[in-house]
Amino acid sequence: MSDAPNSIQSKRVLVIDDGITMRLFYRTILNAADFEVEEATNGVEGFEKVVGNSYDLLIVDINMPKMDGYTMLRSIRREPGIGDVPAVTISTEAAESDSRKAFESGANFYLVKPVPPDTLTEVARLMTGMTK
Amino acid sequence: MTTPLLIRFVAEARELLQLASSGLLALEKNPGDEAVVNNVFRSVHTLKGSSGLFEFVALTKLVHAGEDVLSAVRAGQLSLTSELVDLLLDALDRIGAWIDDIEHKGRLSDGADGVSRDMTAALRGWLPALPDASGPAQEAPRRAAAVEILDVDWLARIDEAARLEAFRACAQGHALLAIEYVPVEDCFFSGEDPVNLMRQIPALHGLLLEGTEPWPDLDTLDPYRCALRLRAISAAPQTSVEELFRYVIEQVAITPVAAHQLAVLAGEADDNPVYEDFVEEARDLSAKGDWSGLKNRTQALLNLTGSTLFAASALRWLDALLDVPAPDPSQVAVLIAAVIDGEAPPLPAPASTVVSASGRQERTAVEAGATVKSQSFPSSANPASHLSPIGREILEAQRFILESLLKPEMFPGQIGSIRRTVANVISGVMEKADCAAWSAACDASEAAGTGTAALAELNRILGSGAEVGAEVGATEIAQADASATVHDQRQAPARILKVDQAKIDTLMNLIGEMVVSKNTLPFLARRAENVHGSREMAREIKDIYAVIDRLSQEMQAAIMAVRMLPVSEVLDRFPRLVRDVARKLGKRVELVIEGEDTAADKNIVEVLSDPLLHIVRNSLDHGIETPEQREAAGKNPDSILIIRAFQEGDQVVIEVQDDGCGIDPAKIRAAAVAKGLMDAERAARLSDQEAINLVFAAGFSTAASVSDLSGRGVGMDVVVTTVEKAGGSVALNSVKGVGTTVRISLPLSMAVTRVMMVEAGGGMLFGIPMEHIAETVRIPRSRVKKIKQSESFVLRDTIVPLLRLDALLGVPQPLWFGDADQEEAVLVVKINGALTGLVVDHFREGMDIILKPFDGILSGIGGYAGTALLGDGRVLLVLNLKELV
Repeated sequence: MSDAPNSIQSKRVLVIDDGITMRLFYRTILNAADFEVEEATNGVEGFEKVVGNSYDLLIVDINMPKMDGYTMLRSIRREPGIGDVPAVTISTEAAESDSRKAFESGANFYLVKPVPPDTLTEVARLMTGMTK
Repeated sequence: MTTPLLIRFVAEARELLQLASSGLLALEKNPGDEAVVNNVFRSVHTLKGSSGLFEFVALTKLVHAGEDVLSAVRAGQLSLTSELVDLLLDALDRIGAWIDDIEHKGRLSDGADGVSRDMTAALRGWLPALPDASGPAQEAPRRAAAVEILDVDWLARIDEAARLEAFRACAQGHALLAIEYVPVEDCFFSGEDPVNLMRQIPALHGLLLEGTEPWPDLDTLDPYRCALRLRAISAAPQTSVEELFRYVIEQVAITPVAAHQLAVLAGEADDNPVYEDFVEEARDLSAKGDWSGLKNRTQALLNLTGSTLFAASALRWLDALLDVPAPDPSQVAVLIAAVIDGEAPPLPAPASTVVSASGRQERTAVEAGATVKSQSFPSSANPASHLSPIGREILEAQRFILESLLKPEMFPGQIGSIRRTVANVISGVMEKADCAAWSAACDASEAAGTGTAALAELNRILGSGAEVGAEVGATEIAQADASATVHDQRQAPARILKVDQAKIDTLMNLIGEMVVSKNTLPFLARRAENVHGSREMAREIKDIYAVIDRLSQEMQAAIMAVRMLPVSEVLDRFPRLVRDVARKLGKRVELVIEGEDTAADKNIVEVLSDPLLHIVRNSLDHGIETPEQREAAGKNPDSILIIRAFQEGDQVVIEVQDDGCGIDPAKIRAAAVAKGLMDAERAARLSDQEAINLVFAAGFSTAASVSDLSGRGVGMDVVVTTVEKAGGSVALNSVKGVGTTVRISLPLSMAVTRVMMVEAGGGMLFGIPMEHIAETVRIPRSRVKKIKQSESFVLRDTIVPLLRLDALLGVPQPLWFGDADQEEAVLVVKINGALTGLVVDHFREGMDIILKPFDGILSGIGGYAGTALLGDGRVLLVLNLKELV
């Protein structure tokens, strides 16, 4: 449990998205804001990476092959030890039922595409406790 | 209308009735929907509460009955059948009509009591019989009062006669209850009437009203604050008492009392030798078990004894005790001794009866949870003020999750991620103490396995949700309630300002004036240049004009947007209407409403209401067939009626489409001939569409002729008139046997009218609404054909009658010197579907104006739609061509 945020070390973000463009977008934005970015291309890969590493934030796409974002998040939240990593889902659906479903699946925040770069940076900074 | 409170009540009642009836309709389709049941119940319950503030007894009673029925539905004791829904809807309608009466007359209509009684009885007839006290079946859904052994010293303060009555009732086998009700201080504001409630207790014996504290001086007394403690004795079953108090049950304590607890003796002491004789004899009789002999003696002595004496009190109790064939000897002995002693120990419990006071229960959950409430975490007030909007949003999301979206199977992960998220978000902006408090709250939550503690702390961090936090911090029950409230708040639009319609209208008028005043600037610029010779000045004025023009246009658009209403305002009534009419006609209709959030100007939406009603009624009456007819025609017995709203360009379009029998042009033709509108030959020449359009003709359709036709047409001319008055149009499309579609198009806004200006009568300006104008032509005098006094001309193979505007208006006509080449300016206008040529002096420009109808005595003048102010201050008269031509 890392309540005290550590702002000296750079924060690690795992981006889980099957779209190569989206991954590039997140990587570019987050690198520019001094985040360390890793990528996974589907839910299964994302889950395996989360289990083997310690991330400060997950950026999760919903619609993905093999395992979608909801299922992946639920699996992660059930996993002892790593289940507490903060997660943002990013989806094209803006309906309340969708955000609700994301929260129910263990997401902590919900962004709707297209996400403005500044918003993404600020959300990532806030949720990882990284000071500018 | 009298008081602001009543005005508020009327508005609220209408809203609640609407909510309740739409909920009922939804329930009829989907009876199991608990959320809807609760909503309907809540609406009716709130209505009952508010109505109780006024003296509308008939109304309140009816609402109450409806509420009881809904309560039974909610508890699963009663299922909602169509008949029951009918009955409830009828009741809601009746209540709605009463609300109208209240609004207009300030009271209910005569005969309301009778109606209320009948409907109440009908509703209550549906209720399951009140279960017996012993009935085990009704346990589950009911909330029980806090049953506990109270301090019942107060029983002695109840009038002795009442206590004796209760004592005797008990002797006849009724268990007695002591009821203590301490209403919350602001109960008067929620429509409770504590004293009245107490008086409704069944089998009431004795009522005691006391203040919860010593009464203050009159001038410091707050009459709106309830400081009462109400107590009573009842011989009714506990369930029926609880039923009565079901809305305030947490403020009520009910305790079984044994009869002997009532026997508290009081009176003046005296010393009379006759008592000694009596006591001696009485002891003798009671030793022998001669109870009736003892009763006789007791009554005899009672007659001789002053009623205020202590001995008399003892004798009265003795008399009551001796009502039963076999009284308890020890009790008798105590009372006999009391006669002479002038004082009495409490009556002992009889050996044979068991005081049924086993019901000592845990205090209610709410109280038990109250300890959690106080356990909030210390820190500064409203600490979240430094959060960025996104940071606040993230925290709100965590609160939302904590409130209702935690899943047991992933609780550790969820709470852990929330913990980290919140800690990270607040780390940069909040005090160390806050971070520590959050951490502590999370520890508590993790230990407890619920989000409660974390939620309370998060609420404090967010600052706004103080009360919510306290409620949620209580028990599970309270938590469910509170989150329901929170959810409701979430559903409600965030921040809505209710503004009086008149104020918006004023704004609209003002902006209209401003648009007009702004138009003076170009005139000013021209004057600056022409009169004062300052080209520079003229240019500057024009620059400023451009700015003001843009601003005023934006402002106009903004104000128009305020006036925009969703068409659902008028569509909301249709599910109910369609259902009722269809049931009455024995037809099966499924109503589909599309695009109900399409918005249009308030006036337009209001205009829509009546025409739509006509059209839908027509469709149900004449368009849609009975299920049998439909099956015979090979159609699905369930017909579909679609009301579709959408925006098309600057028009809002409403279509009513049914899959009924359609209109048969042959029948319309026959009817037109029969009604003498045209001869058979001409009718036969009409195209099918032209024939169908005949239903719009005024006077074509009366109810009688239409019912022969089994087509449609009732009031169709009214529909057209109303819609056209608002600048719209109606189109009808029908295929025999397949269905009919009626399409109403209306401008999005009526506020601005586009007119074309024309000159007539030697320089006088008139405005003609653009929607009437078909085209403008110039024709040489020589082409005007004179047929007797009437003039006409040929426009592309069509003969168009020609009218002279100056003649119509009675303004001076220009002289004509017989020059055949002189051209006439002819405005070709379309009125009631026919073309007419209007001769004017000159055409002028078109412009947007704010039309002001005539008022006062001018409103009687026909031929004019109203006036508008021109930029140079002149008044433009706008013509109403339909009245003129």
